[in-house]
Amino acid sequence: MGRLTEKHNLKGTLVCVEGIDGSGKSTQLALLRDWLKSIGQDVIFTEWNSSELICQTTKLAKKKNLLSPRTFSLLHAVDFADRAKQVIAPALKAGFIVLADRYAYTAFARDVARGVDAQWVRKVYDFAYRPDLAIYFDIDPKTSLERICFNRTPKFYEAGMDLKLSNDPYESYMIFQGRVIDEYKKMVDEFGLVQLNAMDSIHSKQVKIREMLRKVLLEKGIEV
Amino acid sequence: MTVKSKNGYEGLLIVIEGTDGSGKSTQLELLKKSIQDKSYGVMVSEWKTSRLIANVIDDAKERNLLNATTYSLLYAADFADRLENQIIPALKSGFIVLLDRYFYTALARDVVRGQCIEWVKNLYEYAPEPDLVFYLDMPVDVLLKRIIGTTGLNYYESGRDVGFSTDFYKSFEIYQNKCLEQYNAMKSEYNFISIDGTKSIPEIHEIMNAEVQKLLDSGILA
Repeated sequence: MGRLTEKHNLKGTLVCVEGIDGSGKSTQLALLRDWLKSIGQDVIFTEWNSSELICQTTKLAKKKNLLSPRTFSLLHAVDFADRAKQVIAPALKAGFIVLADRYAYTAFARDVARGVDAQWVRKVYDFAYRPDLAIYFDIDPKTSLERICFNRTPKFYEAGMDLKLSNDPYESYMIFQGRVIDEYKKMVDEFGLVQLNAMDSIHSKQVKIREMLRKVLLEKGIEV
Repeated sequence: MTVKSKNGYEGLLIVIEGTDGSGKSTQLELLKKSIQDKSYGVMVSEWKTSRLIANVIDDAKERNLLNATTYSLLYAADFADRLENQIIPALKSGFIVLLDRYFYTALARDVVRGQCIEWVKNLYEYAPEPDLVFYLDMPVDVLLKRIIGTTGLNYYESGRDVGFSTDFYKSFEIYQNKCLEQYNAMKSEYNFISIDGTKSIPEIHEIMNAEVQKLLDSGILA
């Protein structure tokens, strides 16, 4: 495979966080970002499904439950490619620390859990740079559900309702996100994701993450 | 009933390929009519027409928002949407599906835009094999005249986004020539029935109709 398995030789540093919803990854990334900014580092933040080009279409299509697994996969690939080429690559070349809330691994986990071929989707994303640090926040589906759905029903696609696993959105969520987690766990070895226990305290996770990032930056000659 | 078609479903999948201005739409209409006249169910689907994504592509092109990768992926998403929502359901119910362009168009255009051919092939590797592929072969000078005389040169059809030349005419010539090279390379790999696009409209129709008739005479949809 292409870039995802090779170290990039760009000046910048790419960090991504992964895991199912409710695993606390966005909180950790926000803390990291504030810290890096406060110590004067150049930071850029980018998140899943946010490109101007396509994210509105994807959201609309999701609302109407129009998407087959493959179309779902390709639309997210468009979003990712747009950000990869217009935001991530230029920032890495200019020496920024790029913080990505979800990366290609999200597609590998979700799309494969939807029945898309694992090799196919990996090839689709083979233009993506390999992150210098990729952190996987491990959480069980039940806790995730309790955290994100304490006051609402799981949404159609996040519950994997398109797969007709169950008519009950809560039950469907548990089954589907369980599959997504299985895919993430396979990637820990495949892509060298660093696994953190999402149940640890906010503080202890942030300490670990800063420690890991310090090491990565030091290898590039940056002391923080 | 055992399926005899190459596409793997009950119906037939027939593709007309060729560069812009090669006369595909005209031939598609004629073929559609002649098949209807034989009492077969026909469905037509054109490139970049999915309700979901076609508008996004047009809008993004207008605003010059696309890079080579998003260009490829958006077309692939449009194709996936049409394939799964229109084409495969029609094939399953025994229709003859006529397509204006197939993934060969993407292979030609994306590779000219610098994408690795294996990467593009992977995007479309799940596409069913057509039972017939007609390719309208046109020399670039004839194409140029046709397009200038009808729609005029547009930015992407002239490959201006690739940066071959800032001159529209020159850019079009280079871009379409490169696309033709790609099509030529695909001819034998994908069993194109190559037809001289400079022949008259009725002559071309005659050739296509005869090929379709041959297939139907084999009892494939009996």
